[in-house]
Amino acid sequence: MKRVFLLFSLLLLSLMLIACSPATPAAPTSAPVNNTPFATAAGAVVPSSTSAPTPTAAATAKRGGTVVVGVTSDPGQLNPGLTTAGGTHAVADNMFNGLLQFNDKLEPQPSLAETWTVSTDGKTYTFNLAKGVTWHDGKPFTSADVKFTFEQILLQFHSRTKAGLENVLDGIDTPNENTVVFRFKQPYAPLLRRLDVVEAAILPKHLYDGTDIQKNAANTAPIGTGPYKFKEYIKGDHITLVRNENYFKKGLPLLDTVIFKIIPNSTAAAQALEKGEVDYITGVNGPDIARLQANKDVVLVKAPAGPGGSFCIDTLIFNMRKPPFDKLEARQAFAYGINRQQILEQVQFNQGRIATGPIASTMSWAYNPNVMKYAFDQVKAAELLDKAGLAKGADGKRLKVVFVHATGFAKTAEVVRDNMAQLGVEVELATLEVNAANERMFTKNDFDIGIGSYCNGPDPEIGVTRAYVSSNIKVGVPFSNGAAYSNKQVDDLFIQAASTIDTAQRAKLYAQIQEILVKDVPYWWTIETELFRAQRKEVHDLRIWAGDLLERAWTERT
Amino acid sequence: MSRYILRRLIQAVPLLIGILIINFVLIHVAPGDPIYLLAGDAGDEKYYAAMRARFGLDQPLAMQLYLYLVNAAQGQFGYSYAYDRPVFEIIFARLPATLLLTGSALVLSTLVAVWLGVVAARRAHSAADHTIAVVTLLFYGMPAFWLGQLLVIVFAIWLDWFPVQGMTDVRHSYQGLEYASDVLRHLALPMTTLGLLHLALVTRLTRMGMREQLDEDYVRTAHAKGLPVARVVNYHALRNALLPVVTTVGTQIGTLFTGAVLTEIIFAWPGIGRLLYDATLARDYPLLMAIFLFVAVSVVVVNLVTDLTYAFLDPRVRFA
Amino acid sequence: MQADTVIARRRTADGRRRAFLIRLPSTVSHLPSTAWVGIALVVLLALVAAFASQIAPGNPFRSVAPPLQPPSTAHWLGSDDLGREVFSELVHGARVSLFVGLAVALTSTVVGIVIGGVAGFFGGWIDDALMRLTEFFQVLPRFFLAIIVTAFFGGNIVNIVLLLGFTFWTGTARLLRAQVLSLRAREFVVAARAVGVKELTILARHVFPNALPPVLVNGALQVGGAILTEAGLSFLGLGDRNQISWGYMLNNAQPFIRSAWWMSVFPGVALLITVVAVNLVGDGLNEAMNPRYSVASRRSPVVRSHPLISI
Repeated sequence: MKRVFLLFSLLLLSLMLIACSPATPAAPTSAPVNNTPFATAAGAVVPSSTSAPTPTAAATAKRGGTVVVGVTSDPGQLNPGLTTAGGTHAVADNMFNGLLQFNDKLEPQPSLAETWTVSTDGKTYTFNLAKGVTWHDGKPFTSADVKFTFEQILLQFHSRTKAGLENVLDGIDTPNENTVVFRFKQPYAPLLRRLDVVEAAILPKHLYDGTDIQKNAANTAPIGTGPYKFKEYIKGDHITLVRNENYFKKGLPLLDTVIFKIIPNSTAAAQALEKGEVDYITGVNGPDIARLQANKDVVLVKAPAGPGGSFCIDTLIFNMRKPPFDKLEARQAFAYGINRQQILEQVQFNQGRIATGPIASTMSWAYNPNVMKYAFDQVKAAELLDKAGLAKGADGKRLKVVFVHATGFAKTAEVVRDNMAQLGVEVELATLEVNAANERMFTKNDFDIGIGSYCNGPDPEIGVTRAYVSSNIKVGVPFSNGAAYSNKQVDDLFIQAASTIDTAQRAKLYAQIQEILVKDVPYWWTIETELFRAQRKEVHDLRIWAGDLLERAWTERT
Repeated sequence: MSRYILRRLIQAVPLLIGILIINFVLIHVAPGDPIYLLAGDAGDEKYYAAMRARFGLDQPLAMQLYLYLVNAAQGQFGYSYAYDRPVFEIIFARLPATLLLTGSALVLSTLVAVWLGVVAARRAHSAADHTIAVVTLLFYGMPAFWLGQLLVIVFAIWLDWFPVQGMTDVRHSYQGLEYASDVLRHLALPMTTLGLLHLALVTRLTRMGMREQLDEDYVRTAHAKGLPVARVVNYHALRNALLPVVTTVGTQIGTLFTGAVLTEIIFAWPGIGRLLYDATLARDYPLLMAIFLFVAVSVVVVNLVTDLTYAFLDPRVRFA
Repeated sequence: MQADTVIARRRTADGRRRAFLIRLPSTVSHLPSTAWVGIALVVLLALVAAFASQIAPGNPFRSVAPPLQPPSTAHWLGSDDLGREVFSELVHGARVSLFVGLAVALTSTVVGIVIGGVAGFFGGWIDDALMRLTEFFQVLPRFFLAIIVTAFFGGNIVNIVLLLGFTFWTGTARLLRAQVLSLRAREFVVAARAVGVKELTILARHVFPNALPPVLVNGALQVGGAILTEAGLSFLGLGDRNQISWGYMLNNAQPFIRSAWWMSVFPGVALLITVVAVNLVGDGLNEAMNPRYSVASRRSPVVRSHPLISI
């Protein structure tokens, strides 16, 4: 009972904190109801039983027990500040904390920082850190750790955080042990969305200071502040974490042991889940969905976001540097000619929805539904191809294009090939391992069509801007402006949006950007992916949208 | 004898250097750049340049190769990009799993195959002979991944006799005998998959060797003298017939270290084969090169041991 | 390696070799019945491959049915996840899979014959150098190499054929070299040399025709190995997606193995039948050409480079 009370008061406290913090951007109330991140009614095929099993009352939560998480890749090293690789974050984020964390609406909540204030000019953020926090080795956590982590680790090695902050951050001050101040050269709105454990895990200065950070032994046996402590790492097989008895959030965590089991083949992972060898898996193969749904011991869950990327859209990249895609009509013809419903059903197994533009509909505050629509229409596509000067030859063929894609997109590419073949366009597939595909698209620009999963991130500034501004037409930078799209008006709008603090005002700017981009189709947004994860029914309160998956998790099987 | 061994080992040196070089060049001239995996996908040119410098990837290829060889000569094979640990530390951590899987599969399948081969040879051209030939061939002709998945569906899911994946039950930390039996339960299916694939070759070899031997004069003589057939077969013919089998099995031991990529992936077995596959996808160049080198050295050594064993068993062979 | 040489030399005592062509009729008459089954199957497969466009007209990549339909009268072998006919894919897949098998076997046999023949016939430092080269390729972990090359350079069908062709040849080379070594010392070769016949002529007229049969058998066995290797690469997603092969089909079918059995069973069985058929033919030829001294003693060099070992 005492614990319940503690939890409850903690909850209240954090609610109050959110209410007090002036900088928490609230979602505009005008957002379409269906676009809340956790809309449970999914696509046509998926019945509503797929909603997350989140028992509201923490009252039934049990302490103790083990949860086994199936992950697809061996993480290698376990320092979340060194990399954006999903494999590392899936495990390591449970041993660390960010200054903030996200709730299930992806709104920033207190974590290592208890409260924060933003100056009226939007240039200075002040964070008050939680007191009495210790590292797993017993040393106290202070503001010096935060400053060190940002300056020596995140801004050196964490590519997203580096790219986002490097040019705008003026400096980090630590007026005392419990206060950190971020000073910016210009108003910088997205900061609060960049401070969770995925984007900015705080690392211990006392272990990393003055060492070769990439070769530090703590990278494979981490010391964090997080809910779980490192126990062992059997390479290629599993990683075991145990409860941090001195976790600064009282009463948490609930589990004794957490094990990450590496299962590279997702079919095998699903089977292991069915047999209870693992409790939770992050990727579910389309064909396994129906079977898992029918299994009474398994619950399918989904979230628009997850560690490593959020609000992701599978996006075709048209190479506008050369014919045929230098012509608007050619790009629009492909947009009309590709059957996205088929991709959604046959490739994605309805895990997601058809995209309408560069910003995912689930990012409701910035999303604009009122853009040009391209319903599947091959007659219109044929007309546009004719108009683009790509008439059918004597053999019934119009042209041949090369579609470069990583192996993971092979099925989507095959649907595109079949769709376009019916219009007399031959699509040759170049299926490559992901690095080779990236190099061909972003370094050599040797492609007609490319494809990538473009993730919006927690803020459009983080994941959207990079693909469309002309300043980011770069050689050798993956997920830069690969289409070589250049539009002065769009450039200006993005710059304006990044330095505007008011959310409603920013939303207007992004709305305008979306209208222009969708009309120009430098890219073709196919599916907003919303992947299923699956868990045993006896496991509860997994934070599947966040890095700190297991902070509050508990299991009935103790 | 020791001079022979020494000479063989010295001969292997240029071989291994050759492999290092080919390996290095192949991996480094290939399209694709490890930097995106090392540095993430949202960096800028400056950042990528700095990271290239950090990993020495900014040097001209010849310089990188030179440095690699110099370091290799001193026993420094570098750090894995993905694990941030010395490469051989990682390889040796994965070695026991691979040896257990392929070793047990090889031993078991050889025993069964020799038995099948003897049966087939003694009843050459009978229905049993043909059945053995076709059935072992069927297993040989089945892609490993397909066979493995079928075994999982039947024995792990329908019958629920064995676990689906892994080498241990991670929920329990078993000790001693319990641990051994846990590993054995996990081993059963992947071992069977690999073993069935290997069956055909040794069966066929044993059968041919036996047929040849059963035709020999000494067997006929033994028959004529009225010795029991089983005795002749077991003690005389089989021993001679197994000579070529030794060579074959020897070469397959070389593959112990290569592991079984597909089987390891299907069954989430933490061995070398999967390590190589992961290292390929992760563009972990130092690790990839070290695995190649390690396998090559193992094969050289095992070939040598096989030839020595052969010579030991067959006194007619002399060391040239 | 020395041991093999000794084995080869040991065989020179066998004095019953006649020219290949003279032996052909007796070879055919000695073929075991299993070999005839194999031959029938191979011919059938070859016919299917040759007339693929007539048997299953149209583009096999074309989506013509609702996805994941079980076999029915409308779609004999059902449809796959993208609504393509499994029957049509299977028939066209025969073409690519057989092509891969034959092309690899042919490439590796030719390379092996050249290297093994030259090494065995000329001997000396040429032999030494070529044998070092052969050892080099033997020591390379083949399937590993295939994974790396197809992953890094792209898995188009030509890459795969060249890669496998140029790594499968070592067994053939060793085999041919051993044969040539044993034949060189034989009376008819010595006699030809004594009467002043040119070395190359001896090689072409007397040595090769006699040394060739076991090499061809070896080549036949490689067809199956190559097809299986291509399937293994496809399983890892490293195959060519512009060509329908059985490996490609099996890769597609992999996640559906429990929900749509027809996607994996038909290509799997087709692959199985092909591998079994070529092996039956190879074994039969072996036995028929050399009824007494069967493969056993000759086998070791073949086996050492058996294509499947590293899978």
